[in-house]
Amino acid sequence: MFFLNLSAAEVLALLSGASALVVALYLFDRARRKIRVATLRFWVEARQPAPAHRRTRIQQPWSLLLQLIGIALLLLAIGQLQFGPRAGTPFDHVLILDTSSWMAARQPGSGGGQLIDQVREQARAYVRALPRYDRVMLVRADALATPATAFESSRARIEAAIAQSAAGVSALNLQQALEFARQAQRVGGGRAGEIVFIGAGRIAASASPGGGDPAPPNLRFIRVADRIENAGLRRIELKRSPSAPDTWEIYVSARNYGVRPRTTPLTLGFGGAPVGSRQLTLPPGGEAEATFTLRTTAAGVLEARLVHRDGFPLDDRVTLELPAQRRLRVAVYTADPAALRPLLEADPRLSAAFRRPDQYEPQPEADAMIVDGFRPKAPPALDAIWINPPDGGPLAFRQRVQNARLVRWNSAHPLGAGLRSKDWILASAAVLVAGSEDIRVAETEAGPVIVARAARPRAVVLGFDPARSPLRFELATPLLFANAFRWLAPGVFRREEVSGGSVGTVRMALDRATPPEAVRVAHEGGATLPFTLQDGVLTFFSGTRGTVSVSAGDREATHSLTLPEVGEARWEPPPGVRRGVPPAAAPLPAAFDLWPWLALAGGLVLWVEWLRYGRQNAGVRRGINAGWKPVRWLAAWRTRRSES
Amino acid sequence: MATAPLLDRQFLERLERLTIHWHKSFPGLVGGHNRSQFAGGGQEFLDHRHFHHGDDLRAVNWRAYLRLEKLFLKMFQVEPRVPVRLLLDVSASMAAPRPDKFWYARRLAAALCYVGLVRLDTIVLQPFADGLGERFLCGGGRHRFSPAVAYLTGLEARGRTGFLLSVREFLSRYSQRGLLMVISDFLDEDGCEKPLQYLADFGHELVLVQLWAEEDRSPPWAGELDLVDAETGQQVRLQVDDAARREYTQAFDTYAASLQRLAERAGGRYLGVAADRPLEEVMFGGLSRAGVVE
Repeated sequence: MFFLNLSAAEVLALLSGASALVVALYLFDRARRKIRVATLRFWVEARQPAPAHRRTRIQQPWSLLLQLIGIALLLLAIGQLQFGPRAGTPFDHVLILDTSSWMAARQPGSGGGQLIDQVREQARAYVRALPRYDRVMLVRADALATPATAFESSRARIEAAIAQSAAGVSALNLQQALEFARQAQRVGGGRAGEIVFIGAGRIAASASPGGGDPAPPNLRFIRVADRIENAGLRRIELKRSPSAPDTWEIYVSARNYGVRPRTTPLTLGFGGAPVGSRQLTLPPGGEAEATFTLRTTAAGVLEARLVHRDGFPLDDRVTLELPAQRRLRVAVYTADPAALRPLLEADPRLSAAFRRPDQYEPQPEADAMIVDGFRPKAPPALDAIWINPPDGGPLAFRQRVQNARLVRWNSAHPLGAGLRSKDWILASAAVLVAGSEDIRVAETEAGPVIVARAARPRAVVLGFDPARSPLRFELATPLLFANAFRWLAPGVFRREEVSGGSVGTVRMALDRATPPEAVRVAHEGGATLPFTLQDGVLTFFSGTRGTVSVSAGDREATHSLTLPEVGEARWEPPPGVRRGVPPAAAPLPAAFDLWPWLALAGGLVLWVEWLRYGRQNAGVRRGINAGWKPVRWLAAWRTRRSES
Repeated sequence: MATAPLLDRQFLERLERLTIHWHKSFPGLVGGHNRSQFAGGGQEFLDHRHFHHGDDLRAVNWRAYLRLEKLFLKMFQVEPRVPVRLLLDVSASMAAPRPDKFWYARRLAAALCYVGLVRLDTIVLQPFADGLGERFLCGGGRHRFSPAVAYLTGLEARGRTGFLLSVREFLSRYSQRGLLMVISDFLDEDGCEKPLQYLADFGHELVLVQLWAEEDRSPPWAGELDLVDAETGQQVRLQVDDAARREYTQAFDTYAASLQRLAERAGGRYLGVAADRPLEEVMFGGLSRAGVVE
């Protein structure tokens, strides 16, 4: 019986307690009561009943007996009393189904069936082989172990959960699933049965149980045959070329999971048009890589495809969404555009529009402006770089110096990052008056000559003209302008990376100096994902397909996690582990469930007691008595007839 | 329960089709709706008689005189207004063991009162216990019903039942005979048969409505009981079983039958009403079949 795991003695004790309670309530109920009535005359006229001397005398023994019988029957029904032999205490088994992505592979010659179909079939066979009263917890295992049922004795519910199990998108983490099963049996409180793993045993190399705890002694392994040849894409990474920002450098890797060498073509397409192809030679269990370059500033969909047929087509194709190259529109107000043109046209991320000083507008259609050598009528409404402005411009002049040497760069600020040149000699420069909140980027002995103002709109003021002096041949000059533009519009110059991979754990190298608070990992739905940052390696986990964006300082990476994660290694159970579906338990003579009939009988007995002895049902009782009248009349008629 | 209206509007609308009827002929003011066997100034022709000195010449049958040369007088059937009195038991037994019975009695009295008011009868609501209480006279149409309801709602059940005292007082207070409806449980320790007989002998037409609660007729209790009389406070300790209950019910039914015999012997009517019966069923069923209302 499964009655709160009580033994028969405990059920009897419970029954005794309930019976005692019923008797006490009965005696209390039948105890003498004071009742106010309209008259006593008819009691006096009727036969005078004898007063009782013992209060505890049972006045309606049949009522009490019926109540006790009814409660006993109901208790036995709740206890699921069965008639027939049965085994001892049932076992609690944990059934781990492999629902990793590999279970979506198709076995050749199986008529299109997936491996998960075999897993389900084996699971059903195992459940049917168990003794009837054993309980089973179903656990679905991929990268995470997820219980589908509690310890359940209903075979219908277990089979329904088995039928609803489907292949996931991540690789199997068997060690975690086994540990989960062990803990479930430990805290379940029942008698631990087997831990059964049904699957192909293909696991991620990092998740092999051999390196962790030993396999549990009660483990049973039911292998699903998977002689499937498969080669698939492992990873694709794209990043802007440092030398040519309008060019994507593409890296693709593929792996052969089979046992036969394979040569397969890899094609790359962008926006539906082919942009490259390679022939990959994949040794058994080995990987091959290919690199491509794609010159484009437009947005579009990049597709990489292995052109072949195998048993697992889900990892033969990956698509990535590439963002457009962002540009910074710069309005350049200068009387000498030829001097600045080489500086501004070297970077495709800049789009310069040259205009004369008399065409000046405070807010042109641009993202930033350069004001070269004149003082505009109205201050700019955009971020601006001022080159050698006259006195009375954005900053006042302290003095003008000749042949001054630059002695100090503010390398700690992004505007001075990488600038350390001390051999700049400025033929003529204005020493600027910097406020307390202004940033001194470069200084001479006489004072600052490059000053930046962080308040919007931002401004960078150069007290000299680097483009029309020998400084234009210095390497530091384009670096200075690059720093200035990056500081004014950091979003445009952010380093972009796009990668395609599989769901599960993702690792990404960052600068070691990147503080964790500058990192943000967000799923495409907007939800942030937890991550760790250790020794410059960012690690996070995504169990669902989708796009995850990582933002870290001036770097932005987009991970398109659409490839299924396929385990590279095959788990082999240690010796001694039981294998295969066990033979069906010895068939017990069919036990007959008595509890429905007991419940019915208990309810019936209590109903009869209520009809016969209940207080509030005098009308019902009269009805019953009226129903019995013909029977009584018939009995009396038969008596009279026999007497006559 | 006391705050609920005694009768709802739909029920009152149905009551408007009823009329209170009596069987005896009573003298009274002309203008009622029940025919009397007395001759008088009515509309319906009753008989002829010889003319006597002093008779109203307007009633002489002049056609008969021309033919027979004798004076005959036409007699007409009178339709008098007869006082309808309603004796309502307000003793403590009416509220025992539950107040439903007294509530039901007041609702029944209100319904009869409304029927009478609609037909322009004059109704006297006369409560009694061990004597007559303060009466309430209502007449003149349905708009006088609200005060009657307020009066009935304000009644309380208390005191012992004293039919003899009450009847004596009644006979001395009301000399004019009429229809007398008694709504009571008729549970008087001293017996109520004799006083009721007095009323009948005095010439009143009796309508006895015996009310009982289910517990009054078929007590559901079993086992050891301390029974307390609601009126006298007398206490009896009994061991009650099925046989005792059966005999109790039998004694009750015998008493009810004796009341019925008394009423019928006196030319009146009797109706036994269980307080759990719908009032509508009593008004349109029991009382209608008994000819109290039609």
